[in-house]
Amino acid sequence: MKQSVIILENVSLHFPKIKKLSTLFTDLIRKRKTRFTALKEINLEVKLGEVFGLIGKNGSGKSTILRVVSGIYPPDEGNCKVAGNISLLAGIGTGFSAHQTGIENAILYGSILGHNEQEMTDKLPEILEFSELGDFIHEPIRTYSAGMKARLGLAVASAIKPDILLIDEVLGVGDPQFREKSKKRILDLVAETGTVVIVSHSFGLMKDICDRVGVVHEGKLVMVGSPEEAISTYYEITE
Amino acid sequence: MVGSTSNAIVVEVGLKPSILKAPIYVIQKIISHKFLIRNLVVREVRGKYRNALLGYTWTVIEPALLAVVYYFLFYMLAGNPDELYAMWVLIGIIIWGCFGKSLQATVSSLTRNKNTIHLVYFPRIVFPMTSVMANIVITMMSCFVIIPIMIVFDLPLTIHVLLIPASVLLAGFLATGVGILLAPLNCVYRDVEHLVRFIVRAGFFVSPVMWTYEMALDRGIFGNVAMYNPMLTPITLARHGLEGHATTLPPELILWTIGFGSLMWLIGSIVFEKYERWAVKYL
Repeated sequence: MKQSVIILENVSLHFPKIKKLSTLFTDLIRKRKTRFTALKEINLEVKLGEVFGLIGKNGSGKSTILRVVSGIYPPDEGNCKVAGNISLLAGIGTGFSAHQTGIENAILYGSILGHNEQEMTDKLPEILEFSELGDFIHEPIRTYSAGMKARLGLAVASAIKPDILLIDEVLGVGDPQFREKSKKRILDLVAETGTVVIVSHSFGLMKDICDRVGVVHEGKLVMVGSPEEAISTYYEITE
Repeated sequence: MVGSTSNAIVVEVGLKPSILKAPIYVIQKIISHKFLIRNLVVREVRGKYRNALLGYTWTVIEPALLAVVYYFLFYMLAGNPDELYAMWVLIGIIIWGCFGKSLQATVSSLTRNKNTIHLVYFPRIVFPMTSVMANIVITMMSCFVIIPIMIVFDLPLTIHVLLIPASVLLAGFLATGVGILLAPLNCVYRDVEHLVRFIVRAGFFVSPVMWTYEMALDRGIFGNVAMYNPMLTPITLARHGLEGHATTLPPELILWTIGFGSLMWLIGSIVFEKYERWAVKYL
């Protein structure tokens, strides 16, 4: 029996709605809901070494689950436990600063993702090589195309080696050649990392790499099973 | 690789130490994230003066121009001020500016960084600390304006000139405590931001920017009340440092300011640690 490295027990998460002075009284009288429930009593265990997928419609709560696990939102009810350090890959290139050079941004983004100075110095050559930016790396990134920025972001993000990797829809950037390369890079990362939780809409990829897949619908984890079972359940409930 | 986690201890996500330990916990987080804070400060400072022909010289030009305007205003109102008055106003503007800008930036630090907060987790205290430190760096650059002033007014360069950077740090420290106290509330109601903007404008006149500690000494009850303004200490210290003599401020006033700042830091860090996790849901 393998150890569980991510344990969610009865996790619920609510988002408050902002009250305005002008509607404070009418809200009271009409008893309007003052919060929005994003996750309802999620129970989930991810085992060591497992590649776990999450599928569901837009807004169903898949990304929110990853955010709870990574610590962005602490659960309102229930608890979430993890073993080992976690890295969330989402919104590649968060925090880029347009008027600094590629290298400066690589270091900035690396530190945002939790690297210290030593790690960044060690990884910088590898990052620069993978990004294929050549001399452009010394130019401010406001001169970059969207694809170039994405390449730099992915190069930095994929240089991490966490115990648990959470991936939120980061595939499909850049030109076809780079997309292939980045897919391979993510797959390598998945293969090297102990445990992976991946959110994606590309079911083909899910079938290829996931050991188990969970279906999220309206904030609830509807089922967990093999990728094939999960995908057919997804189509049943979203019909 | 695989297996490296097999011995890892299962920990609950988002658990925080007890409330009373929050001030120490916050300091530990700042130290352990110093590389990140440094990079974010560089981003902020560079971003502020990007694409400007004069670049960082604006840190000096801005307070100098303001001082000229206020000197002129004071001249019209009171006539014939002391020849050092323009210099007093200038250093007052610099130190007050450090406090005001730091306060406004800390209060809005979480709301301005909401995209980052949604996508990556690191201790959120990093955001207000970055805002304060960026403003301290900018203010330190502004302080280079004192070099020509010292030459023009033939002021002696003594060890007391160190009072100037010390007051910049003190002003930043005062802003931090109040700022982190209000930053989580600003996520829920942006009214806080608007209120703070007003307070900073009004505080400019209540603090000794256009007037000095010495002027307040013989103004009876209003003068005595003005002594309780915590910003009186850093501004006056900087002026005395520039004049090149030891400060004549009574030690109890300096202690009051440091005590006020520490109390604000204590309360601020407890409130910030307790409420930031709940406040970011409003972003």
